[in-house]
Amino acid sequence: MSGLFTEIGAEARAPKGLVPFRFREVGGDILLTNFLGDWVFLTKAEFGELARGQLAQGSSLYEKLSSRSFVRETLDEAKAAERIAYKKRFLSYGPNLHIAVVTLRCNETCVYCHASRANMDAVHTDMTPEIGEKVVDLMLQSTSPAVTLEFQGGEPLVNFPVMKHIIEYALARNRAYGKELEFTMVSNLAMMDEEKLAFLVDRKVQICTSIDGPEHIHTKQRILAGGNSHREAIKWIERINKAYIDLGLDPTLYHVEALLTTTREALKYPKEIVDTYVGLGCRAIFLRPVDPFGFAGKTAQIVEYDRAAFLDFYRAAVEHILDLNRRGEQVLERYAAIFLTKILGDEEPNFLDIRSPSGSGIGAIAYNYDGKIFSSDEGRMMYESGDGFFQIGDVFTSTYRSLMKHETVRALVMASIRETQPDCVNCTYTPYCGIQPEHNYRTQGTIFGRMRESTLCAVHKGIQDYLFDKLRTNDPKTVEILRRWTTVRARSHFIHASTAS
Amino acid sequence: MSFFLGEGSVRVELDESLYPKDAIYGAAYVFIDRCYVHLDRVSDRRVQVTLKAKKAGADTQALAGEFQNELLGQAWRRQIVEENRQLIESITTRALGGAAGPPGLDELLTMDIGEETAFEDPLGIAMSWEEKYKKKGGAKAQPQGEAAETDAAEGEKAT
Ligand code: SF4
Repeated sequence: MSGLFTEIGAEARAPKGLVPFRFREVGGDILLTNFLGDWVFLTKAEFGELARGQLAQGSSLYEKLSSRSFVRETLDEAKAAERIAYKKRFLSYGPNLHIAVVTLRCNETCVYCHASRANMDAVHTDMTPEIGEKVVDLMLQSTSPAVTLEFQGGEPLVNFPVMKHIIEYALARNRAYGKELEFTMVSNLAMMDEEKLAFLVDRKVQICTSIDGPEHIHTKQRILAGGNSHREAIKWIERINKAYIDLGLDPTLYHVEALLTTTREALKYPKEIVDTYVGLGCRAIFLRPVDPFGFAGKTAQIVEYDRAAFLDFYRAAVEHILDLNRRGEQVLERYAAIFLTKILGDEEPNFLDIRSPSGSGIGAIAYNYDGKIFSSDEGRMMYESGDGFFQIGDVFTSTYRSLMKHETVRALVMASIRETQPDCVNCTYTPYCGIQPEHNYRTQGTIFGRMRESTLCAVHKGIQDYLFDKLRTNDPKTVEILRRWTTVRARSHFIHASTAS
Repeated sequence: MSFFLGEGSVRVELDESLYPKDAIYGAAYVFIDRCYVHLDRVSDRRVQVTLKAKKAGADTQALAGEFQNELLGQAWRRQIVEENRQLIESITTRALGGAAGPPGLDELLTMDIGEETAFEDPLGIAMSWEEKYKKKGGAKAQPQGEAAETDAAEGEKAT
């Protein structure tokens, strides 16, 4: 990038009268972003003018920059302050996501499984009802007006009685707190039955499952003893979606959410994977690279890959999703939607891994089956593979405030402020990006991390390069689709209303 | 900076005027799960860091390179943090304050208040000034140190 100034000429000097900005070459033009998250594309010739200090008041370049809050003298400071406060409003309240690992037992064996899985006879890894109640008690003390309790495992359906107890207890206790309460369960669905489903639907528990792509990939990667993991998942996805329709809910909004674990094998099938998801009625696909938590060296061979290969896969899949949208199919890619929401407006989608500071501790808490509490689910997985760095307490002795004021939480907050990071501080994408300190710690041994060497940063940069190139090309149909991805329709049916008694 | 590769170990010598001591500590610490780390002063303003891999067959060249990158990152981050201190403090305070909130009823209820502890007053807040600070035998008040603590403890016993 420094070459740009050399191309422009020896007389290049810092432009005067502009707010601080960062720049990056994208697709042959120069992208400028400022501290408010406003952005503008300049041609190289325009950028040359700017660098030579030839920004004449009233010129088209001046107008262009002024309209996007780049010119100091036309910047409305009060409005700018208001916008920043609005974007950072998530700082005013604590964790809204509470992850309860109700058991480590699991009925499937997955090639990429985190170290947190236990065999079906390991009953000592089941959460007890008493621990579950303590989880709820802590959760309801969050300063967040809305809280989501997410059941995970292992396979949460293995410990269904305790899950049921926790749900009933939370509903009863919340009458005194009056929070907006939601439940989510992440399950492989193989142990689902009609009775469990009736309970989950009645208590408005959102159901999320894993689909690795077409059947031949899914069954190869997720082994269900004596069964077909793909067929079970599909059967129940269809059944649950039908239950929502029977309730009169809009199927475009209410359906089973499915998550992809992108393995090396999956990279070969971008279109097939998208089609599988669309075929299952999914309206949102999250194309996340596999995370590095808890992998043994052996599984890393199966799941690890070069991030450039992932980005090729990502672009091919999103191009296909865009094509489907052009043909009238309403489906979006979640990563793109998160970034675009911040790029195209002032909304902060509060996705905990892509915000600054990150959600570790102050946005999410994970409760292990044995009552130990972690600053994130990733931190819990690290504990299961022998590293307790991210433990911030336990349900028996910790108070809510002691968790939030824990020195690890404080360190994680400071480590995930973009303005502390050597690369992020100068990065064009810093207004939209986020740092995941657990990822840094796992891959580089430090919660601060070195972004140039971070595979996650490479993915963030690659995705934002791709999205900005789409915006630069400015094809009206494509831009309209991308804009549509940023509209959030609330799924109010799943919210247990906040009327305290 | 100079470095020497040995059998499973790396020795790096640094100029402290380029790499502040805090940055050297920070960078060295990142390696303690993989290496045994030793810091030494070899001459005035020169620090030597030795990384000895815990596992056999480690790539010492890569270890040395990674250490130097981390060191640069730590030194620069320190500078950035200095420059942005006010912003970082305000975000951190807001984030932690917003998440923790004021102490609520639940916290007060969970405080350990039993029959024996209900009237404990370890800081002597409930005592009069004279009671708290007066020396035994009517000596002059002494509001500091051990004497004050002893008096407070006695006051506690008296309740
Ligand atoms: S993580 Fe990477 S892409 Fe994101 S702001 Fe930092 S340097 Fe830029």
